[in-house]
Amino acid sequence: MAYAYLFKYIIIGDTGVGKSCLLLQFTDKRFQPVHDLTIGVEFGARMITIDGKQIKLQIWDTAGQESFRSITRSYYRGAAGALLVYDITRRDTFNHLTTWLEDARQHSNSNMVIMLIGNKSDLESRREVKKEEGEAFAREHGLIFMETSAKTASNVEEAFINTAKEIYEKIQEGVFDINNEANGIKIGPQHPTTSSILTSGQGGQQAGGGCC
Amino acid sequence: MSDSEASHTAADGSPEALPETHDASPAESDSSSPTTPDNSTDVAPTRKARRRPEAKPEAEETPKAEEQPAKTSSETTVSQGSWGYWGSWGKSILSTASATVATVGQGLTQVIEKAETSLGIPSPTELSAQVEEEQQQQDSSPVHDGGSETDKAAADGPSAVGSAMGMLSSLTSVVQSTGKTVITGGLDALEFIGKKTMDVIAEGDPGFKKTKGLMIRNATLSQVLREAKEREELQTAETESSDSEKKVVAHYGMLFDEFQGLSHLEALEILSRESESKVKSVLTTLSGDELVQLRGELDHIKDSFSLVEFDDEEVDEKKDEDGSEFERELMEAMEGLSVSATADKLTKACKSTCSQITDMNKPQKEEEEEEEEEDGKKSLSVEEVHAAAIRSLAELTARSIELFHKLAEMILFSNGSAEPSVLSQLTVVLCKEISLLSKKFTSCLTSAGSNEKRDVLNPLITGVFLEASNSASYIQDAFQLLMPILEISHIQRRSESSEQ
Repeated sequence: MAYAYLFKYIIIGDTGVGKSCLLLQFTDKRFQPVHDLTIGVEFGARMITIDGKQIKLQIWDTAGQESFRSITRSYYRGAAGALLVYDITRRDTFNHLTTWLEDARQHSNSNMVIMLIGNKSDLESRREVKKEEGEAFAREHGLIFMETSAKTASNVEEAFINTAKEIYEKIQEGVFDINNEANGIKIGPQHPTTSSILTSGQGGQQAGGGCC
Repeated sequence: MSDSEASHTAADGSPEALPETHDASPAESDSSSPTTPDNSTDVAPTRKARRRPEAKPEAEETPKAEEQPAKTSSETTVSQGSWGYWGSWGKSILSTASATVATVGQGLTQVIEKAETSLGIPSPTELSAQVEEEQQQQDSSPVHDGGSETDKAAADGPSAVGSAMGMLSSLTSVVQSTGKTVITGGLDALEFIGKKTMDVIAEGDPGFKKTKGLMIRNATLSQVLREAKEREELQTAETESSDSEKKVVAHYGMLFDEFQGLSHLEALEILSRESESKVKSVLTTLSGDELVQLRGELDHIKDSFSLVEFDDEEVDEKKDEDGSEFERELMEAMEGLSVSATADKLTKACKSTCSQITDMNKPQKEEEEEEEEEDGKKSLSVEEVHAAAIRSLAELTARSIELFHKLAEMILFSNGSAEPSVLSQLTVVLCKEISLLSKKFTSCLTSAGSNEKRDVLNPLITGVFLEASNSASYIQDAFQLLMPILEISHIQRRSESSEQ
C-alpha cells in the first residue's frame, strides 16, 4: 500500500480504440468486449514494482469522443506518462495521431513520457496499419512503441510498466523534478521510523500486492 | 493527565442546564429564520448556529473546575482572526479538553462571519502568517507547558483509541481546510457525541502535531484528504510490523482513495478551477450595463448555492431498510440530469450497505458461516462493525463525489442547464443518507458491544459519527465546486442565445 512513487498516467486516443479495455485488463486482468462510452474521465490504479521499488500508477482514462475533447484536455496537465492508443484495424485512428500528439504536448509538461500503442493486435486478419508504420511514427516523434491486445492481454502489462520504467529512468537522470507535482510524480509517504520497520512493512505489502 | 481530565469532563453531566451566553442568541435567530434573504448564509453556518448552544454550556461549566490559565488561553485565542483560531485548536485541546470546548463555542461567531463573507479557502500565506502569530502567542502562554505534557501523553495514548485515530486525523485535516467544513462537520457530531468527542481527541489524536505543517501547505480539499490517507498508510505500515493482532482497523482516507474518491475529487477541482478562471476572464471583458446584468445573473446562481438547508433531525432511523427510498429520492433529485450510470453505482453501494446492516441486526437467528461459537451471541465484533461502517461511509462518499464529478462533466459537455436547486436537493439527499446510515451503524455498534467496556465502545461510536459528519462535509464541499461550472455554463448558453 505504501509506495515509493506515484505516477499519474493519461490514456488518450480516438473513441473505440480500446483505451478503457486496456485499463481494465491492466488493473483487473479481465476483458469486457462491450464497454460503455467513457464520460469525461474514469480512473484506475495499480501498484507495480520497478528496481525493487513500489510504484503506484494512477491512471486517468479519458473519453475519446471529439465532443469531450475540451473537457479531457483539462486533465492532461500533471501527467508523467501518456498512453496514446490507436486501433490497428482502423486506419483513421492512426491518421489522427498527429492531432492527439500535438494536443498532448501542448497541454502537458514537456518531459511527459509518451507510449504509442497499436491495440487489437489479436485481429491480425483485419489489420489496416502495419506494425512498421507504428514504429516509424514513434521513431519520428520520439515515442516508445508497442502493439497490444487488451483482449488476449498481450503486451498490456509491458506497455504500462515500460512507460513507468522510462519515467523512473528520467527521475534517476534528474530530468524530472520530483518535488514539482505538476510533473505527475509524487513521492510516497515517508517513513519517519527506522529502516528495519520500513523493510518489514514493505515486505508485507508486497505479498498483499501480489494477490490483487 | 488527559485521562483524568477526560473522565472528569465526561462525568460532569448536564450542560443543558446552563444559561445561553450572549453570542449564542444572535446565532439562534439566524437559524430560526434561515430563509431571510439578507441573511444569505450557506448551509454550514445555519447548522452551526443550531448546534452552538450545545457545545457552549460545557465550556462555561468546566473552566470553574479547571485551572485558570486554560481559560486565559482560550480567550486570547479567540481574539485572533478566525482562521488563526483554528490553528491553535490542536494545542488548546491538548492543554485541556474543557478549554478547547470553550474555544470551539466562542470561535464560532467569527467562523460564521468568515463563512458568510467567503466560502473560499484562505491563501496558504495568509494561513501561515497567522499560524506563526499563534505560535508566538502560545509559546509565551503559561498553558504551553501543560500542553506539551498532554501532548506527550496523547502520543503514547491508549491503543484502544487506535482504530479511531485514522478518522480523527482526517478531522484535524479538515479543520485546516475550511472553516465551513469544521462547522458542518464538527458540531454535527458534537450534537450526537457531546463530551466524549473532545475526550477522545485529547486522548488519542496524534494528528494535531502535524496540524501546522498541513495548514501551511494545503489549499485544496483533495490535498488534505490525500495527506490524511498517507498518514493512515504510514500508521498501517507501522502497526503491521509492530503488532499483528490489530487487524480490523478501518482507515477512512485509504478506503476513500480505493473507491477512487480522491481522483474524482481532484478532477472535479480541476474543472471547477478552470471554470472559475474562465468566468473571471469573461467578466473582465464586460463593462457597464452588460457587466451589471451578468453579475446579477451570476449572483442568482451563487445564492442558490448558499441556501441549502439540511436538517438531520428529520432523519428517522427506522425508515428505508433496504435503501429503496434513497434510490427513489435520488432519482427524483436527479431527474433531468443524465448521469444515470453513476447514480446506479451509488444506489447499489447504498443497497448493499443496507443489507449489511439488516444482517447485523439479526445475528442470533442465523449462524454466520465464518463465526465460531466461542463468541456466544455476537456474530460480529464491535471492531468489525466499526470497520464496515467506515468502509460504507467511505464508499458512499466517494460515489457521491464521483456523481458530482460526472455531473460537472455532463454540464460542461452538453452545456445543459442544471438548476442549482436540483443540485442542492441532491446534496441534501446524499447528506441525509449518510446521516441515516451512520445512525443505523451506531445502533448496530451499541448492540454488538453491549458487553464491551465503555472506553472500548465509545471511541468507535464517536469514530462513526465523526466520519459521517466528515463525509457530509466532503459532499457539501464537492457541491460547492459545482458553482463555477454552472456559472460558465450559464455564460455559454447566454452567448449562444444572443448569437442566434
